Amino acid sequence: MALVAKSPWVIHYDGSSCNGCDIEVLAALCPGYDAERFGVINTGNPKHADIFLVTGSVNERNISVVKEIYDQMLEPKVVVACGICACSGGIFHDCYNVIGGVDKAIPVDVYCPGCAVRPESIIDAVVQGVAVLEEKAKAMKEARKGGE
Amino acid sequence: MLLPGFLIVFPLVVALLLFCIRADKARDVIVIGGAVVTAVASVAMVATNIGVGYTPIQFSSHAIDYLCTAVGVLIAVVVLYFAVRFKNLFAGALAVVQLVLSLVFEMGFAHGLEVSNGLYYDSLTILMVFIIGVIGSGICVYALGYMKDFQHHQPKGEKDRRPFFFGLMFLFLSAMYVIVFSNNMIWLFTGWEITTVCSFLLIGYTRTEEALNNAFRQIIMNIAGGIGFVVALFASAIQMNTLDLNVFLTQGAAHPEIAVLAVTALAFAVLTKAAQMPFHTWLLGAMVAPTPTSALLHSSTMVKAGVFLLVKLAPVLAVCAVPKAMVVLIGGLTFLLCSCLAISQSNAKRVLAYSTIANLGLITACAGVGTAEAVWAAAFLILFHAIAKSLLFLCVGTAEHHIGSRNIEDMDLLFERMPRLARFMMIGIMCMFIAPFGMLLAKWATLVSFVDGGHIVMILLLAFGSAATFMFWTKWMGKLSGIAAKPQNVEVTVHKSEWAAIVTMVFLVFVGCLFLPLISNALVEPYLLGVFGTDLQTLSDDNLWISSFLSAIMIFVLLVGLERKSKSRKVNVYLSGITVDTDTRAFTNSLSGSTEATARNWYMEDYFGEGKLTKPAHIGTATIIIAAFVVAIAMILL
Amino acid sequence: MTFLSVIVGTVAFAILAPVIGCFLAGVDRKVSARMQGRVGPSIMQPYWDVRKLLSKESASVNDVEGVYVTLALVLAVLSGGIFYSGGNLLLCVFVITLSSLFFIVAAYSTRSPYAEVGANRETLQVMAYEPMVLLFAVGIYLALGTFSVSGILDVEVPAICKTFLVFFGLLFILTIKLRKSPFDISMSHHAHQEIVRGMTTEMSGPTLAKVEIMHWCENVLFLGWAGMFFVWSNPLSLILALVVAVAVYFLEIWIDNNFARVKWQAMLRWSWIIALVAGGVNIAALMIL
Repeated sequence: MALVAKSPWVIHYDGSSCNGCDIEVLAALCPGYDAERFGVINTGNPKHADIFLVTGSVNERNISVVKEIYDQMLEPKVVVACGICACSGGIFHDCYNVIGGVDKAIPVDVYCPGCAVRPESIIDAVVQGVAVLEEKAKAMKEARKGGE
Repeated sequence: MLLPGFLIVFPLVVALLLFCIRADKARDVIVIGGAVVTAVASVAMVATNIGVGYTPIQFSSHAIDYLCTAVGVLIAVVVLYFAVRFKNLFAGALAVVQLVLSLVFEMGFAHGLEVSNGLYYDSLTILMVFIIGVIGSGICVYALGYMKDFQHHQPKGEKDRRPFFFGLMFLFLSAMYVIVFSNNMIWLFTGWEITTVCSFLLIGYTRTEEALNNAFRQIIMNIAGGIGFVVALFASAIQMNTLDLNVFLTQGAAHPEIAVLAVTALAFAVLTKAAQMPFHTWLLGAMVAPTPTSALLHSSTMVKAGVFLLVKLAPVLAVCAVPKAMVVLIGGLTFLLCSCLAISQSNAKRVLAYSTIANLGLITACAGVGTAEAVWAAAFLILFHAIAKSLLFLCVGTAEHHIGSRNIEDMDLLFERMPRLARFMMIGIMCMFIAPFGMLLAKWATLVSFVDGGHIVMILLLAFGSAATFMFWTKWMGKLSGIAAKPQNVEVTVHKSEWAAIVTMVFLVFVGCLFLPLISNALVEPYLLGVFGTDLQTLSDDNLWISSFLSAIMIFVLLVGLERKSKSRKVNVYLSGITVDTDTRAFTNSLSGSTEATARNWYMEDYFGEGKLTKPAHIGTATIIIAAFVVAIAMILL
Repeated sequence: MTFLSVIVGTVAFAILAPVIGCFLAGVDRKVSARMQGRVGPSIMQPYWDVRKLLSKESASVNDVEGVYVTLALVLAVLSGGIFYSGGNLLLCVFVITLSSLFFIVAAYSTRSPYAEVGANRETLQVMAYEPMVLLFAVGIYLALGTFSVSGILDVEVPAICKTFLVFFGLLFILTIKLRKSPFDISMSHHAHQEIVRGMTTEMSGPTLAKVEIMHWCENVLFLGWAGMFFVWSNPLSLILALVVAVAVYFLEIWIDNNFARVKWQAMLRWSWIIALVAGGVNIAALMIL
């Protein structure tokens, strides 16, 4: 197992969520579920994070913010769209200012639907995200070797 | 005999020449020539006298005695002239009092006392010769370029007083040589007074109201100190029957009870000259002068004359309780309070001024402790303070002319705007306060000597003062170190003469830190051996060499390591995802506009502001001085 | 001789301290989790974290930040080497201060608003603990008669008998030096501080790994300071010192989990008062008696 899988640090960003998913995300990170068992740490800083948890849909106001946070994260990195709004825009899909799911702004690796998304599904999604992270880390390693 | 005489007379001749010459080109040549010759002669003096013990020079001349009297009168006339012209009667009155006292002394008391060894030198003198000759002349060269810009910035129609300025600079050097070489205390006093009046004229150089006020504050405090010096001469002549400095010191060490008043009065003169609290305000006021003046006053002349004399007095102070208590306490308090006050200052020159006063306080305290270890520390504090402080003043002066401000807040991004200068400034700052550079090693020795001497109060003052020192230097250094994209490089127009002087100082920092153990063996330990009969050295040679080695690495990293271009991907600073422009730290605000994030350093005025600390400091230190005099006089009378 | 032993000590410290420090950090997280009623991560977690950070892409906001951090790390290791090779205690103190200076300058150089606030606060933290650190060195000197750390092996009674007040003062400022709450104002190990991650906000990947390793080394050094109070000529006392160091570490973790972060004013005031009272009284007593 690649080391990155043992220490997935996350950052959470609330796009235009109704806060339902946010509460669930934070609940999943609370001592009750003790995500730190798996090395998960909730950082407030994209530069330290490996997994980007986004809740809510992307709109005209926040699309640049989502992109910037994603750019500031270091490779290898993974994006998890938490909740149906983040996956596709959800019930706000047709609103005049909503662009759609997070994948309209940045590449999403794991979709985790739900309204609101449950902590268990989030933990599941993070575990899947870790698997993607591992693949990316491996690819990066090979690219480095190839480069040399 | 030859070199000391040359060193005293040569700068004097250069000064007279400079007073007369008005052409820029000719002045450049004379100043550079004069500075180089002075520096070379000084270095020759050092090189030929390594490890020298006390060497008296048999020389006495009534002509010079009369000349000293004449100079004394001239000084009083100069002060009186300015006092009348600018209506500061108090200064004039003090000048008259001092003149009358010194005339009474010279006519009535001094005649019977012949001093056959008019001049002398020992290893401490040699150290001072190096500081005055190399650093002092370096500053004179720097002043050439600086004063051109300065004159350029002056309002139109303002008189060009540069001949006067450069003449005074060299006169200052000459007077300093008189102080460090004179064994005849009257000659020493004359040199002392010349430095007083030179700095008076240099501070008032611009003749603005502020400059004049500060110049008068300086002259009042220093003439008060001068009167203290005359009192010391009286006491020495009457009670110890000598005006020979060396005899005075040996007799004083043997019979502290009769020397108490003389030493207290001399120590008082030193406290005024070295700008110790409560007299520190004159040095702060001196900041209105052009920067080379400040550099000269702070590093190699004026204040160093004060502490030099005090270090000479150290063996007497060690056994003479009253002046010792006064000097040690005032020095320690000044160190702590001025280090704290420096935190609250944003004007770079004021920070430097407070730091100078604080370090002089430390030197004063070391001299007061008066053991061999303490004097070792004092000697190195004098040396490294002179080098680092002149470097810093020169850097600030140059920065001021190129960024238009001497405020530390405006030095943001200097690392890119003036890359070389910022790095040199960082070296100067580090040399002032942190291991493994010279100043800290000296502070280390100071701490050890305080502990060995059982000075508990001094240990506390030093511990807390050092913490404050860390604060104000680090935040300044942090301000310098900031990097954002590529602002315009504005240092291409810096004068060559300025670079020459600055690079010399950086070189001296480097050599001083690298070869500190050798300097200790060659210059400082011989002096200790001569005066204390021991060349005991507090810090083991091993520790000194480890520090030298570390200093070399630090300077290498600062000058070379920071130039390395890393291969890492460049990312923006984190501005919560709403960056507008990363270089100016602008982000989108709640009204969709753009706001720049700004950061000021911490000044903590509620804790360390001048309004909080200055008044209690004045009252406390003044009380200590008055108490010391009362006790000293009582001891003499009873 | 000293020069050589310092070099040997530094190399040994460079190898051992990260291992021990890493283990301690793992214990810290496990114990903290248990205090909060959680299972907590594996003891190996800090090791995995740092290995991960080292494997990540290298990115920075400027070219010099990494140089400063590397320098800070090297100096921290050197300081530990000086201490554990029995070198001069004051030199050790000065070198670790130099290390913190470079770390602070690294944070300032990024010009990130959050890092800058963190750097300002860290400067203040150094100012808060520095008097007590110097008084600690002086207290040890008065108890041992020498500044050489190796001197502890020659004394008949351990330093603690004469300097328990200094020891108490040191414990107080160790909370600042170990970056434990209530004094972790410049950068917190816990998630979510109002200034993001303070000084380390802009440090990422390998650079952040260096910061972590530096922190481990510092912890090993500081616990050595606490332990040295309990060593005397009896070799068995080294075990006692080890026990004390572990106890001190546990105490700091306990404090960390039980106190809310304070404002800088309170930190500065209390650390100076304690330095003045605990350090001053103890040293005065040693000098006079």
